[in-house]
Amino acid sequence: MTYRADVLVIGAGASGGVAARHLAEHGFDVVCLEQGDWPDRSAFPGTRPDWELAIRRDWAMSPNVRNRPEDYPVVHDDSDIEPLMYNAVGGSMIIYAGTWPRMLPSDFRVRTLDGVADDWPIAYQDLVPYYDAIDRQIGVSGLAGDPAYPPHDDYPLPPLPLGVAGRRVAEGHNRLGWHWWPEPNAILSAPYDGRRPCVQRGVCTSGCAEGAKASTDLTHWPKATAAGARLITGARVSRITLGPQGLATGAVWLDRAGVEHHQEADVVILAANAVGTARLLLLSADDRHCPDGLANSSGLVGRRLMMHPFSVVTGWWDDQVEGWQGHFGASITSYQFYETDPSRDFVRGAKWALSPVGGPLNHILPMRAGNEVWGADHHELMGRTFGRGASWAIFGEDLPEESNRVELDPDRADSHGIPAPRVSYRISDHSRRLMAFQEERAAESLTASGCQETAVASMIPYSGWHLMGTARMGENPANSVVNSRQQTHDVPNLYIADASVFVTSSGVNPTCTITALALRTADLLVQRRSEQKVPA
Amino acid sequence: MTVADANAEIDVSRLEELADVILPAAHGMPSASEVNSIAAYLDQVLDWRGDLRQPLARAVAALEPSLFTVDRLSSLHQDDEDAYVALTTAVAACYYLSPVVREQIGYPGQVAKTYDPYSYTEWVAEGLLDPVMERGPIWREAPE
Ligand SMILES: Cc1cc2nc3c(=O)[nH]c(=O)nc-3n(C[C@H](O)[C@H](O)[C@H](O)COP(=O)(O)OP(=O)(O)OC[C@H]3O[C@@H](n4cnc5c(N)ncnc54)[C@H](O)[C@@H]3O)c2cc1C
Ligand code: SF4
Repeated sequence: MTYRADVLVIGAGASGGVAARHLAEHGFDVVCLEQGDWPDRSAFPGTRPDWELAIRRDWAMSPNVRNRPEDYPVVHDDSDIEPLMYNAVGGSMIIYAGTWPRMLPSDFRVRTLDGVADDWPIAYQDLVPYYDAIDRQIGVSGLAGDPAYPPHDDYPLPPLPLGVAGRRVAEGHNRLGWHWWPEPNAILSAPYDGRRPCVQRGVCTSGCAEGAKASTDLTHWPKATAAGARLITGARVSRITLGPQGLATGAVWLDRAGVEHHQEADVVILAANAVGTARLLLLSADDRHCPDGLANSSGLVGRRLMMHPFSVVTGWWDDQVEGWQGHFGASITSYQFYETDPSRDFVRGAKWALSPVGGPLNHILPMRAGNEVWGADHHELMGRTFGRGASWAIFGEDLPEESNRVELDPDRADSHGIPAPRVSYRISDHSRRLMAFQEERAAESLTASGCQETAVASMIPYSGWHLMGTARMGENPANSVVNSRQQTHDVPNLYIADASVFVTSSGVNPTCTITALALRTADLLVQRRSEQKVPA
Repeated sequence: MTVADANAEIDVSRLEELADVILPAAHGMPSASEVNSIAAYLDQVLDWRGDLRQPLARAVAALEPSLFTVDRLSSLHQDDEDAYVALTTAVAACYYLSPVVREQIGYPGQVAKTYDPYSYTEWVAEGLLDPVMERGPIWREAPE
């Protein structure tokens, strides 16, 4: 017989770690179920000679390629973009790049300002105190005063180095009269909170062995467990259970040996990312109360999936810039073409982030921009480009569409036999116009920065790192899944802490906002503890 | 993958010949065999990436070295993508593990660097950000 926790958190990634720590530090008895393990930093491949081989298999960003027991397959035959993620304590932050931008005021009001999609039920100002708090918890390196943003608190740490390429592109943008700014990164530029600073090795997306890049296994879980939270790893949740009063009573989970358990709780928080959470809500359907999935009276669970169409524009100089080195993350960013301009044939825009381009194998067997060239020409290409480049990574705002969705696949299952999610997603014509414009401008940027040559990898499929929107926030239960406190309309003691709740995608990397929202949700639970409905 | 697949035999001398077509001596760079790349590193690469062995064996069996040119790679790509990926990955991985090759392309591997995190004050003082600041705010006001 399990004991009943105050709060059950499902998923120990970015949002789960932040929510669990805040609740545990405020006296809640928290249990977290996480299908993965604690990451073993000594096993990260970045310092090994086989690094570039490992990231194509055992350390791939795709769970389908890694295919570890804790991964679940994501069926994406019918999707223009492949969803990418990592399943462990720390979640996808173990392999994320660590760029840490906030969303902008206009991102929360796209219906009012641009007549598209929907406004959020909260505003930028509601999140500011949580953005400031989360930046301090994470240890963000950056420089305050960016005129692309309203003024806000300074970052706890100075910005990371610009590098040779960052400096050149900054100068190029000054010549063009275009915006640039050092990118805020969730990567330490100096020692902080017992962690060591970044050493610029450039292997961030296969795990940071130094521990300089923030992930909740470092920044939140040790503090959460010290405050009494219980984190159970190797625990795969198969469904959320519902009691007679229409309240969640906990969740059924399977251990590594496949033995079934039930964890009871007064409150359940889903933090399994926008694919994993939608999957669990759909898996929790029950014929009597919710045949179409838990908390799905609106029919929107799984719908409105957004993944940010992603292009890479690479430029090469005629001299070495050590283009394989540096945090990955981004050195500088540009919001020159972020906000709507009525003279263009699309609304909204994109954020650009300047990144390194990897080692020789990534150069010649590119996962991003570039071509495979063999024979004598191979050496000519390597001589002309290797170590001489940098890439603008372009994240376009992805407007929500109900046909872009997560469902359960009738055929594929994970290693426990639980149905896999199936993703159907199409990049819209609007996104294609938006991205084509941005790609052209990014090539101009690199040319103005002195690059001799540029190449565009347009809307690459292997880029579904930002998963958002499958249980949107709103005040009307008929057209949203959670309210502005991220409480599901249908089940008052069921909350969603991850980016499933995003109403729109913005054009920035989401994790700063995911964690600020998770902190806000947990904080509002603390404040309203006495009013919370719980099962008898 | 069957046990037989996992232990698939690769004809190494044939692979060496193919590797010299994929990465010949040119533009001041040595060929794959001049740096002994297959002989020195293939076991290591297949130890790291056992999944490449079987499709690599298929590629080596399918391509006749005496008739092989790089143009033939695109038809291999079309006919058997896994074999193509295994062949190009294994040949390139072995080649770029060679210290001679790394030295020549100026790649020391992904190395740790130190820096002064407060050196940013120099480029700020130099005025690098001034043009950005002078243009003023570019974010769009939104109703609360
Ligand atoms: C390669 C890559 C690069 C990225 N770069 C950036 C970046 O630079 N900046 C940025 O802002 N974002 C980036 N992201 C995105 C970022 O990692 C995610 O936005 C963030 O981690 C999402 O947080 P989350 O809490 O929603 O989910 P996750 O961090 O994915 O955590 C979800 C957790 O839930 C667990 N889980 C799921 N289902 C179950 C179940 N049934 N039972 C038990 N446990 C379960 C999973 O194992 C996982 O640990 C990147 C992502 C990737 C993959
Ligand atoms: S570059 Fe910095 S953040 Fe990235 S892996 Fe290396 S030490 Fe970690």
